[in-house]
Amino acid sequence: MTALLETRELGRAFGALQAVTDVTLAVEPGELRAIIGPNGAGKTTLFHLISGLLPPSAGRVVFRGEDVTALGAPARCRRGLSRTFQITSIFPELSVLENVRIAVQLKAGGNFRLLGGRAQLDASERRARESLAFLGLEGRADELASTLPHGDQRLLEIAMAVAQEPELLLLDEPTQGLSPEDTTATVGVIRQIAKARHLTILLVEHDMDVVFDLADRITVLHFGRVIAEGAPSDIRANAEVQQAYLGTVA
Amino acid sequence: MRGRWLGALALVALAVAPWALARHQLSLLTDLLIFGLFALSLDLIMGYTGMVSFGHAAYFGLGAYGSALVLIHFEQPIPVALLAGALLAGVIAVPVGWFSTRAREIYFAMLTLAFAQLLYTVAYKWRDLTGGSDGIAGVPKTTLYWGGPSVAGPHAFYAVVAVSVVLSLIVCRALVASPFGRALQAIRENERRFISLGRDPRVFKLTVFVIAATFAGLAGALFAPFRGFASPEVMFWVLSGQGLMMVITGGIGTLVGPIIGAMVFILIQEILSSYTEHWMIFTGAIFVLMVIFLPGGLVGTARRLATRA
Repeated sequence: MTALLETRELGRAFGALQAVTDVTLAVEPGELRAIIGPNGAGKTTLFHLISGLLPPSAGRVVFRGEDVTALGAPARCRRGLSRTFQITSIFPELSVLENVRIAVQLKAGGNFRLLGGRAQLDASERRARESLAFLGLEGRADELASTLPHGDQRLLEIAMAVAQEPELLLLDEPTQGLSPEDTTATVGVIRQIAKARHLTILLVEHDMDVVFDLADRITVLHFGRVIAEGAPSDIRANAEVQQAYLGTVA
Repeated sequence: MRGRWLGALALVALAVAPWALARHQLSLLTDLLIFGLFALSLDLIMGYTGMVSFGHAAYFGLGAYGSALVLIHFEQPIPVALLAGALLAGVIAVPVGWFSTRAREIYFAMLTLAFAQLLYTVAYKWRDLTGGSDGIAGVPKTTLYWGGPSVAGPHAFYAVVAVSVVLSLIVCRALVASPFGRALQAIRENERRFISLGRDPRVFKLTVFVIAATFAGLAGALFAPFRGFASPEVMFWVLSGQGLMMVITGGIGTLVGPIIGAMVFILIQEILSSYTEHWMIFTGAIFVLMVIFLPGGLVGTARRLATRA
């Protein structure tokens, strides 16, 4: 089976700081892969390199067999790579429904219809409502996104990405700042999405319980390098991983 | 629903104005409508896309010169002059927008200001074409179409302006509700999110910048025959700044608000300047108070009160 996403010796330096070094990984279709690592391990930088928000200083990104290294974030999204952000990134003064609808519209095209476009708006709205219902947000469709509680805003961001029907969903710390109950709910939702939509998911996570609960495979980053990769049980038993975590928790 | 009634009421008021108002009042109303259109066009980029342009007067001025030149040298009917003015503004906005939209926020504002001052200088220095600091005087109000009735009378020209402004408002309202308009609002709300949802915002920004400039050009193209002249002052940064104040006074991102804002802004100026030469102190103070006590402008505040009631 060929990998859906591959990174080859991917690296990124910010001045003298080498945030990501030599990261080579392959995500298979249908896989739920987690990237973990202590603070400052380069997880979010790696995500930006994969989604195209940052250009790499070394290496390649290959998505669905195509070298997408030179493409920007918009082009990668249109090829089937949707993402969420560590710090919730939504359209605050638009309605919950419009947040998701615009995600559908931007991916689908026809964005330069200057007048009219009623049928197009209706079609994207239907898909947006499906996605909202899937995440249990249909009751809040008409509220302003900024008025949602934090947990629902996190879910809204996932709804936007899911509504784009991507091949690969990148989730950057989906449980960031959530209460234990919301975390459990979100984990359930992610599992459900993966199953119902046959999505390949790559997620960055801080919460170890979430990761060991969800992931098929885990990649461990430390100081920008991959120090281990394997099934959750292997990672749990890995001495180097334990040391990396214990070493930073002073 | 209430909004629809108010809209209908405003249309009726515009329709009966020529009979209800004295000649100088109708002339003032024509003026208000022209600047209302100018403020409306600025709201497209400022209110709906979140791009604060500090050089919007340049396109008003280009429209004025374009229309003045067509009317003076070719004596074409008014619609041709309006088209020429609007197109000239839109065409010049393409390169300016192409450069300016590479920057964001304050840098975008500074670039638009720099380009506007550059265009102002061209209008000021290119004496052969623009008449330099004297501008172009004696711009005629020609006819409605070739061999058609004259629009030189105050009633007829008022009708041309009122119809142009109402049609522009209708088109702009459709524009902001279209898929394109919705995308603009998403850019305003969160550009980074927009990018990661699959589109490059620059093309959208450039397009709306050109559209806004075209409508500003239309306003300028109405202004030149109405006042009978086009001069560098209408391209000066002071008018760009006043445009921002009109939009904020009326209600940013409401389209109809900036039209009302322009009217209120100019009316206050008219009234105060007939009492004191220091009127700017008072308009400044009124503006400060409005921003503090009426966030969302006149229309934004009215809507808030209406939903609360």
